Amino acid sequence: MVRSKAWLLRGFAVGVAFALTLAACGGGNAVSSQASGGASGAPKTGGTIYLLSLNQQWDQVDPQRIYTGEDLAFFGGTIQRSLTSYKYSADAKEGTSVTADLATDTGKPNATATEWSFTLRDGVTWQDGSPVTCEDVKYGVSRTFATDVINQGPTYQVAYLDIPSAKDGSSAYKGPYKKTGQDLYDKAVTCNGNTITFKLSKPVPDFNYTVTLGFSPVRKSDDTGESYGQPGHLVVSDGPYMVQSYSIGNGGKMVLVRNPKWNKASDPIRANYPDTWEVDFGIDPKVMDQRLIASAGKDNFAIQYGNIQPENLATIFTDPEHTTAQFTGRAVSGFDPYARYYWVNVNKVPDVNVRRAMWVALDRQAIRLNIGGAFAGNMADGVIKPNIGQDYASTGLLDGSLDWEAGTKVPDNGDPDLAKTLIAKSGKPAPTLTFNFANTPTNAKTAAIVKSSLEKAGFTIKVAPLEAGQYYSIVFDPKKSGEFGTAGWGADWPNASTVIPPLFTQKGGWDLSQLDDATLNQAVDAAQTDTDRADQSKKWQDLNKQVVENMWVLPTFFGLSQTLAGKKVGPIYRWPAYGSWPYGQMYTMP
Amino acid sequence: MAAYLVRRVVGMVVLLFLLSVTVFVLFNLLPGDPARLTCGKACTPQIIEANRHRLGLDQPVLTQYTNFVKGIFFGRTFSEDSPEPIICHAPCLGYSYNRHQQVLAAIADAAPVTFWLAVGAFLIWIVVGISMGILAALNRGSWVDRTIMGISLIGYSMPSFFIGLLLIFFVIIRFNWLPFPSYVSPFDNPIQFLQTMILPWIVLAVLNAAFYMRLTRNQVLEVFGDDYIRTARAKGLPERVVVVKHALRAGLTPIVTAAGLDLAYLLGGAIISENIFNLPGLGSLAVGSVLNSDLPLITGITLVTATIIIFANLVVDLLYAVIDPRVRVG
Amino acid sequence: MISDGVITDSEVMRREAALDRQFLTVNDLAVAFPTEDGLVRAVDGVSLSLEKGKTLAIVGESGSGKSVTAQAIMGLVNRKAAKVTGEIWLDGQELVAMPDDDVQALRGDEMAMIFQDPMSSLHPFYRIGDQIVEAIRAHRSMGRSFARREALEMLRHVGIPAVERRIDAYPHQLSGGMRQRVMIAMALINSPDLLIADEPTTALDVTVQAQIMELIQSLQAEFGTTVILITHDLGIVADVADEVAVMYGGRIVELGPTRAIYDNPEMPYTLGLLSSIPRMDRDPNKRLDPIRGNPPSPIKLPKGCVFQPRCNYFERVPGGRCFTERPELLEAELDHSVRCHIPHEERQQIANDVLHALTGGPTPL
Repeated sequence: MVRSKAWLLRGFAVGVAFALTLAACGGGNAVSSQASGGASGAPKTGGTIYLLSLNQQWDQVDPQRIYTGEDLAFFGGTIQRSLTSYKYSADAKEGTSVTADLATDTGKPNATATEWSFTLRDGVTWQDGSPVTCEDVKYGVSRTFATDVINQGPTYQVAYLDIPSAKDGSSAYKGPYKKTGQDLYDKAVTCNGNTITFKLSKPVPDFNYTVTLGFSPVRKSDDTGESYGQPGHLVVSDGPYMVQSYSIGNGGKMVLVRNPKWNKASDPIRANYPDTWEVDFGIDPKVMDQRLIASAGKDNFAIQYGNIQPENLATIFTDPEHTTAQFTGRAVSGFDPYARYYWVNVNKVPDVNVRRAMWVALDRQAIRLNIGGAFAGNMADGVIKPNIGQDYASTGLLDGSLDWEAGTKVPDNGDPDLAKTLIAKSGKPAPTLTFNFANTPTNAKTAAIVKSSLEKAGFTIKVAPLEAGQYYSIVFDPKKSGEFGTAGWGADWPNASTVIPPLFTQKGGWDLSQLDDATLNQAVDAAQTDTDRADQSKKWQDLNKQVVENMWVLPTFFGLSQTLAGKKVGPIYRWPAYGSWPYGQMYTMP
Repeated sequence: MAAYLVRRVVGMVVLLFLLSVTVFVLFNLLPGDPARLTCGKACTPQIIEANRHRLGLDQPVLTQYTNFVKGIFFGRTFSEDSPEPIICHAPCLGYSYNRHQQVLAAIADAAPVTFWLAVGAFLIWIVVGISMGILAALNRGSWVDRTIMGISLIGYSMPSFFIGLLLIFFVIIRFNWLPFPSYVSPFDNPIQFLQTMILPWIVLAVLNAAFYMRLTRNQVLEVFGDDYIRTARAKGLPERVVVVKHALRAGLTPIVTAAGLDLAYLLGGAIISENIFNLPGLGSLAVGSVLNSDLPLITGITLVTATIIIFANLVVDLLYAVIDPRVRVG
Repeated sequence: MISDGVITDSEVMRREAALDRQFLTVNDLAVAFPTEDGLVRAVDGVSLSLEKGKTLAIVGESGSGKSVTAQAIMGLVNRKAAKVTGEIWLDGQELVAMPDDDVQALRGDEMAMIFQDPMSSLHPFYRIGDQIVEAIRAHRSMGRSFARREALEMLRHVGIPAVERRIDAYPHQLSGGMRQRVMIAMALINSPDLLIADEPTTALDVTVQAQIMELIQSLQAEFGTTVILITHDLGIVADVADEVAVMYGGRIVELGPTRAIYDNPEMPYTLGLLSSIPRMDRDPNKRLDPIRGNPPSPIKLPKGCVFQPRCNYFERVPGGRCFTERPELLEAELDHSVRCHIPHEERQQIANDVLHALTGGPTPL
């Protein structure tokens, strides 16, 4: 879920087809998260599962710094436990519901949800056999506050815990290395025997979901700071496996073997079938596809980290919902975590009618075709994606039911005439706009479509490609960015509290549209702190609708992705929790 | 000759200095903010500032550069605030936070792979390219010549990633003649080393061999028209001596230059082959560093590969002087 | 006086005796290169003969076939690229039909050659001493140091100063004249019976030219070498050659003793060549009189007389035979053959007029 910079980079490493570009899609039917049924053969205990990665290394292995859905799922299923985790299930609801992991239950809030307590299970140990203590969890959580050392990870610890801010707005606690403000942290997080209690600065009704992210124990004596988890400083496991070796670069491997001290009784979630996990780095994506298609020898037990190359999709799938007979039970097509959109700087394009005209004029059909057609994704009607669960409701954008659409269903290929009408309403001539995108061949073609379709409505569009690896670091600076550009976002857990606030408030961290509206901030705050989950859902749905009413961003596509596995590995489904393989349940077949 | 050598070495040092300055300034002028990249989402200006400080990017470029140069001669320390500060001994080319590895160590790990890749491919293409080229020249206009030039044209027009994928698909996946490439040092496991390297060698050699076939053929034919070849024949030398001692000696001299530079270029890393065959060489290291905006690593690799190429240029020029006496005096 | 084409019995006998003494005889030599544009007949039916120790000059413009004739004699024409027919007898051996290896054994040993540009004709990468040693050891099994001593001796002999130092020099370190001396030393190192000098002075300074010609002459006298001197410059031939063959369009157009060619040239082309030599005895006010027009293309030779398009006198031949009929090379006087349709007496008359006009008197040698 989570869109971190690491995710972006991985996308670029693959090349053009992924990442930012990937953004689009549309058309067609909604897609379930599971493509095809299981393979023959019963689960076997033992064997090795190979995870083929096109990357040269893990983005992060440090439990406080991992922030990519697939990585959270992999490490969560093997070596790193958190207070709560998600259930393994292909079902969208079941697979996104939290269950107790290190803790004995899913947490006990106080009445106002400003204080949450978790009690650790007995018998949970580190790989050397010593018990995982409350202090270990407390220390692990504290590491996130050392923002200059423990970076790139989730930061809900900093955002939610009841620790005052320093003058510059950052937390007064600077983490366990500098120890500045350590007393403040010790007040907010307390250990009482095996029970850890978090005091929060405001009500967080879904804090038991929050603790799936980075609320993992780290033993102080194991911590090497910056380098923790990297080769030479292997992360210490409290899960069913442990790291035997890790090398990076092409040809690099991470090998996980069984953790002999792992106590099955303390872990109701993980099935623990294979004896070994081997992650193979630096596999060329085209070669990877061919290996998995052939599925010979070790590749029978291999699964794909990354996506199937576009040119192979027709071999494997008949459509985004069905595999060909040959690949039944081996391939998955489903929603990836991300909703794609074009951010619009609301300071540079202040008139709502102009922003609406931009969306109306956009030829989303041609753009989706450019990035892979139906396999790339569905047309988006907002920033909340259907696979989030209860927080999603149709905004009506695609049905023409919004007020300003006046009942006209805007066609996928755009409506220049309606756009012109909207521009006329603004009382000013259509402006000149600059479009930013990460410079890849596919994106460049997309940009050409954006330009031509918006110019049909009277806009003048300048395209401004940016160096792919640097894209986000540039567009966050309004001085360097244009009026609008490509982006994408995925929820951190099945609550739109991880979508709306980051995208549309200054504190959120992903406010590319540069919104800072007091009324909106209040409404977001109210939704975030609403302890009535059903009521909260309603508020998120309303806010999502407000987004498309105001066109703070121009929704484009709900991304789909496709992955492939060898013939003798299972189960084959997309775990809704992270849009990933269900690592903790995976097995080889005889 | 000695004076020439000294002049060239001094020039090389000056060039490297200018290059290091250029690389430093250029990479610092790039749009984008490495500090922002390290910070992921939910990034506040404070965090960015802290990261900028941690990366040493808050200092003026000049200071960063002098620190870098100091590191090369005296070593330096990174992450002084961390529980385990990183001590980087001289010659220190910097520290890659992305790989959590010293830049020099990363390069030292990758360099042997690229070295073997380049040298193996080089030997194949030189032997095949030059011998085929000579054969074509000696049989100019015959079917031998036409066949060789035809092969050269095909080799020349096939993109290396295409040849690579084709070889992997057939040799490894389809027919299982070789295991999947997995690099080991030739000293640890020579068999696996050869099994891993043979296909990438072929891929790299095809394009260059095709080029060298043409180059050699043209060179030899050109030399055959030279007056001193006629003199050699007029002396009554056997044709074999005329070809080998007189024609090839002169005809292959320009090829030495080309080959030396091509080898040097390859020593900087072969991106496509390394990636297709999953080889942890300098090319894949460079790609990774660029994708991750890993400035210290990019700087280090750029400087090291530039040094290789500049050094190779020097070697080629010296070699040329050895081969061609006319160059020596100047 | 003998009229055209008529030879007396006594003359036949005299010639047969002479033929026995001939060291080099070329009969009906033809060299043709097939090209995409057609067959290039570079040499077309050349016959000549030369006694041992004599000097023959082959004179003609570039493209006349004189160099190809020389290379054909040396066996340096690439048999893959060209068709060589006819006979070349050298000291009793026929070379055209001889296997390549045998001709190779003669090259540099029995017959040797020096070239126009000594810079490009010496291998730039090898020391001159080594190049000469190589020539020695190609034909004689001799130790390196002995060969080197011999090379040193020969270099000294051809007038190179400080040979001990020069022997280890590379060609580019020597002057043009020195380089040509090296070439001569290399050519004569195995005491060949035949030396072919292909424009040996053309690429050299005027002052050096004379030295080189003198050197060739003195060495010829010393070793008794038979020399073929190939040149486009009739001017340098007079003092050197015993006989002169004038070539045009791949054929010999006039052949005779040097004296005869200078005093009584008959072929209008030879006349033209003589007219264009700057000479001390010539009236400086008379302008040089180059032959008009350009040499013929070797692919499209004129149907009749090859020289006709440039000839000032073809109108004197009745019936336009110059346009339709190739003239034969016929003996006009003793040992003096001419290829021309114009009658002998008329040719003499023309020559007298032209030479008188040039100098105001007969041409002294």
